Amino acid sequence: MDSADCRKVRHEVKLLNYIIKNEPPRKRFCFHFWEYRIQLLNMLLDFKTTKKLLAEYKIPQAKAKIVKTAKEAILFSKQNGFPVVLKIFSPKIIHKTDIGGVIVDIENEKDLLTSWAKIEKIAKTKKTKIVIQKMIPGEQIIIGAKQDSVFGPIVAFGLGGIFVEVLKDISFRLAPINNKEAKKMISEIQGNKILNGYRNREPVNFKKLEKILLSLSLMISKEQKIKEIDLNPVIANKQDVFVIDAKIVI
Amino acid sequence: MKLDYFFNPKTIAVIGATDRIGSVGRGLVKNLINGKKASAQGGSRRKIFLINPNRKKVFGVRTLPSVLKIKEGIDLAVIAVPAQIVPKVVEQCIQKRVKSAIIISSGFAETGQKGAILQDKVKQALNRADTPFVGPNSLGVLRPCTGLNASFAPLTPSKGNIALISQSGALIDAIIDASNGKSWGFSAIISYGNEAGLTLTDFLNWAKNDPKTKVIALYLEGLKNGRQFFESAKEASAKKPVIVLKGGKNPGSKKAVFSHTGALAGESQIYSAAFKQAGLAVVSSIEELLDISKALSWQPKCKNGIAVVTNGGGAGILTADYCFQLGIKLPKPSPAALRKIENSKLMHPGYSKSNPMDMVGDALSDRYRIAIEAMMSQKNISGLIVIQTPQTMTEPIKNAKIIIEAQKKWPQKPIVTAFIGGKLTEPAGKILEKNHIPNYPDPYRAVRAIQSLIINQ
Repeated sequence: MDSADCRKVRHEVKLLNYIIKNEPPRKRFCFHFWEYRIQLLNMLLDFKTTKKLLAEYKIPQAKAKIVKTAKEAILFSKQNGFPVVLKIFSPKIIHKTDIGGVIVDIENEKDLLTSWAKIEKIAKTKKTKIVIQKMIPGEQIIIGAKQDSVFGPIVAFGLGGIFVEVLKDISFRLAPINNKEAKKMISEIQGNKILNGYRNREPVNFKKLEKILLSLSLMISKEQKIKEIDLNPVIANKQDVFVIDAKIVI
Repeated sequence: MKLDYFFNPKTIAVIGATDRIGSVGRGLVKNLINGKKASAQGGSRRKIFLINPNRKKVFGVRTLPSVLKIKEGIDLAVIAVPAQIVPKVVEQCIQKRVKSAIIISSGFAETGQKGAILQDKVKQALNRADTPFVGPNSLGVLRPCTGLNASFAPLTPSKGNIALISQSGALIDAIIDASNGKSWGFSAIISYGNEAGLTLTDFLNWAKNDPKTKVIALYLEGLKNGRQFFESAKEASAKKPVIVLKGGKNPGSKKAVFSHTGALAGESQIYSAAFKQAGLAVVSSIEELLDISKALSWQPKCKNGIAVVTNGGGAGILTADYCFQLGIKLPKPSPAALRKIENSKLMHPGYSKSNPMDMVGDALSDRYRIAIEAMMSQKNISGLIVIQTPQTMTEPIKNAKIIIEAQKKWPQKPIVTAFIGGKLTEPAGKILEKNHIPNYPDPYRAVRAIQSLIINQ
């Protein structure tokens, strides 16, 4: 064993200590290890389980499939129609957009092939799977839930994009909620006007939106192992509401 | 849970009783002895035993060296000895079988690890003995209607129907001082301290069923069991108004979060969501807490539909702005109401004929009377804000009397007033408040107060 190997082992041992003792590393150890520990302790549910769990609670999801080849991707698109989205999926990667892991608005077969080449490259280096999904028009919404350290299960509702991230326009309730509370959660955000339709746009399907909120509130109350859930984005239009992407931290 | 021993004890032992100037024990003994006189006048005799092994006499009263030397049973032990001695004193109290205890002493979990261990020791002992207790690190418990002031607050507050339950003892001191000489008062004041024994939730459950309490006012910084509090607050607010002021709104240390929800669900956001969901009235300052407590303490609740009567255009416009901002509806005066006003021939021809009803600056009291009567008779008007600016011909005291009469005539419709100004309006303001009409020196505060009386539909 050379000295570099020795160092590596020492690091591993210390790392294990942190995991066991559940304490942050001292300053002189690099942040990287702390992150690693977090990844070990907080797991993202894998694609299949996420899909199954949402289905169990009758939360509607946009059609999606793990595909291995461009051929499979083309087949999916032909069966379900363009436009489609390609994205990487791995329980270890939390912010896939940050590394270029999401390609939207793929309109035709030619587009799909060039996009496939890009996403395959990322998927290979990051060792992730690739998911293809039908693209749905509508308003972007985020619906979330988590176990709060003081109050226990809570649910959150907001508009996607800058509305939640920059303006923090979001409403919260302790779960489980009833229909009345779900209605209030949706109506009390500032961005509610967007959902109600503006400039000739039709209002979204509020009934279905409320239903998802109620289901998620039930899920976070019942599934105590789940720490955090993001349904982000959820796309809502006049007819339908679908979960496009879901992240479940256990 | 029965908390009678805390609020109306027949026998009290003060452990750490002293008359040394600048001590907590001195304040405690003074308050309890003063309260004893009040309780004697009220017909319920209360015996107070002073315990101090190092002093023979305190304020001329003989002391006992230990609680064990008392012959009678003890309903309430109030402990104000240094933290390190508390475990020993508590053991003696348990041996004596005291029925309840308040631990005033500080130096426990609030100071760090060592103090937390000491606190745990005390807690374990009292829990084993099944003795309910408050604290440690508590200002004490006050129950004005029984003359009990088991605290070291510098003043004793007057009787009333507001129950104040506070995590901070110093804030209680300030609020008692603020209430001094005012017409509102308290059914109980509780400083729950470190919550090793009875918790905020326990006292909330008690106040909810206390017949002397009409309004519950809370100050808190953090909750130990948020869910339990939430459930109890929901029940309490269905029975009587609960107002909450929360300190500590800065975003805390960032924990590792993986979702947008996790990142956005800041502590203060979740607290205020929980408060609102439980039906609590959330306020952001001590002033607002007291303003609203006062209104809820004195005035009935009402539907959304308020009339504003004013003798100043500017003040009326401001009031209308605030009403709009806070979602208060100002129904237009009906033709019948306007006819009534016109027929009186008292009104200035340039009066506003709308709501706010601006009677113009030279309005004398009879104009106030006719405008108030016309508006209050209207069916869709459920409450009233009376604004007065002190102009050269204004008659503040006469106006106050007219408002008091109106309140008697329409007891189901709340009235709040904003007699704006200072020296010129103060005596009238006092008369109003003596008659339980809340008066505020600023129209915004009056609007906020009446908003708290409006039933959400």
